[in-house]
Amino acid sequence: MMIPAATPNFGPAAEPMGVPLGAYLLLSAALFSIGLFGVLSRRNAIALFLSIELMLNSANLAFLSFGRALGNLNGQVSVFFVIAVAAAEAAVGLAIMVTVFRTKETINVDKLDILRW
Amino acid sequence: MELALFIVCAAVAILFALVVVTHPDPVRSVLALVVTFFALAILYVQLAAPLIAALQIIVYAGAILVLFLFVIMLLNAGPEKDTGDRSRLRTIISLLTAAGLGGMIAARAWLNQSTGIEGADNPSSLAAEGSVHAVARVLFDRYLFAFELVSIVLLAALVGALVLTKKEPA
Amino acid sequence: MTTFDLTIGAIKAAIIVGVLQGCVPILVWVERRGSALIQDRLGPNRVGPFGLLQPMADALKFIFKEDIIPSSADKFLYVLAPVMTLLPALTTFCVIPWGPGIDVTFRGVAHHVSFQVADVDIGVLVILALVATGVYGIVVAGWSSNNKYSMMGGLRSSAQIISYELAMGLAIIGVILPVASLRLPAVVEYQRHHLWFVFTQPVGFLTFLIAGFAETNRLPFDMPEADSELVAGYHTEYSSMKFALFFMAEYANMVTSSALAVTLYFGGWSVPFVEASGIPGAILGIGAFAFKVAFFLWLFVWVRWTLPRYRYDQLMRLGWKVLVPLAALNLLWSSTATLMGWI
Repeated sequence: MMIPAATPNFGPAAEPMGVPLGAYLLLSAALFSIGLFGVLSRRNAIALFLSIELMLNSANLAFLSFGRALGNLNGQVSVFFVIAVAAAEAAVGLAIMVTVFRTKETINVDKLDILRW
Repeated sequence: MELALFIVCAAVAILFALVVVTHPDPVRSVLALVVTFFALAILYVQLAAPLIAALQIIVYAGAILVLFLFVIMLLNAGPEKDTGDRSRLRTIISLLTAAGLGGMIAARAWLNQSTGIEGADNPSSLAAEGSVHAVARVLFDRYLFAFELVSIVLLAALVGALVLTKKEPA
Repeated sequence: MTTFDLTIGAIKAAIIVGVLQGCVPILVWVERRGSALIQDRLGPNRVGPFGLLQPMADALKFIFKEDIIPSSADKFLYVLAPVMTLLPALTTFCVIPWGPGIDVTFRGVAHHVSFQVADVDIGVLVILALVATGVYGIVVAGWSSNNKYSMMGGLRSSAQIISYELAMGLAIIGVILPVASLRLPAVVEYQRHHLWFVFTQPVGFLTFLIAGFAETNRLPFDMPEADSELVAGYHTEYSSMKFALFFMAEYANMVTSSALAVTLYFGGWSVPFVEASGIPGAILGIGAFAFKVAFFLWLFVWVRWTLPRYRYDQLMRLGWKVLVPLAALNLLWSSTATLMGWI
């Protein structure tokens, strides 16, 4: 069964977005900065990871908003890959945290400063 | 209608994102992040990406955050107790940095959103745009190589997590 | 979305929630009389004829019981957990078609009312998403009770659910491949013109059924709430109405699992070799669907009181080392057969 070659464009979007693109991008920027604040100020390693996930999601929102505005499916495919890679990153990051906890008995990132283990 | 839904979801997302980054108890942070993800998933549906919304809930809210919860319970990470020790300077600097960077992004986003799209109101074609079939076509045609690579990345993460957490035989 | 669509949607949602919650007392009665039948005893037969009012008595008992919150429990999460379990249980049914649609003419405009609350493009993924969300209630219940048994039960139960989600998802993919659509009405339509999937993908059906048992925490996979093992698992510390909410969620999940098995493998609401339309067709479809779901519900009760319980490591071994490879083999078979045009 031959599948016709796909183009990621579905043409200019058939209907205008009910909400202006800028609104979505502002929300994305807001979530990004909130995530950034979390990364910089939290000392619990797990809360740090959560803030990173928040930042990744704000990027996803930006991808999808642009994809919708331009009538292009590349945005959705990019988000697909971002979600998959974020899952891999979360798994490995948490595995590292668990290992560190076994030796140091803490996940307070202020105390993990020996640069080994 | 779309604007009202956007405002509600955006408000919920921002409110619970603030809870995520400020609440001392990591379990509450995770649950607040789940709510944020649900709000974002609703926005994704509004952006003609129902497949991505479903994947967001299945993968992000349903698997990754459950993994976070497991690790929190495994490490018995209770609320951050020594919050009195939190450096006020650190909080202020993070706030300024985040606000500065966020402000720059927001300003650029708001000033440059010149992609005005004209078109007729046509809900059915909107559904066809982000449909599963359309995304699948693009994913398995143009991005097939990247798709296979991502599966290798996931395999590497799987093996890595297993190897890292394997206990040394006593 | 016109006002008509919104109203019809609201009515359908209310019907679904009402039916799901109405099934709970019926299932409680069936469970107790069925278990008595299997165990060669009488079962409740005093409250009302044949003990039919027993669930009412149970409900009254739950309402009047003292509502205890352990002093060392995390109060907010403790109260939130049963709600977090019940919400996905009640909403998962929204994408399952329970009958053929009917055409109504309202104020001169012809509408087609489909017997499904939400006919979205991503049908089956909604179910997977909501099942994934259901894990949170259990894990939070275990954590917030601040009790060793609850914690163990909560972690075990959620690990069990996410492990068997994988096998279930692979089995579902095997069904989706020939249909070429994620929508459940498309699956039902496909089975009207082809052989039911239970015949063409028996391994997939078996995998899905076993995974369904594990997803709903029913025996033989109810280690997390095993009475003799962990006191009562993640709902050890719960009493009265909160406990009742957990049970309502479990029975609602049972109904949804059965309905999903029927839709994916047994042709949903369709009756083979019978074509009917309009109101008689709708009644026939709903009746056939209800009959098939009832059969599966009886199967759930039957298996519970027949098989012994799996130990936790046996359970995890079964999920990962047996069911996932089987489901993958089924996927291989399904893709080959779809390509060759056999199914």
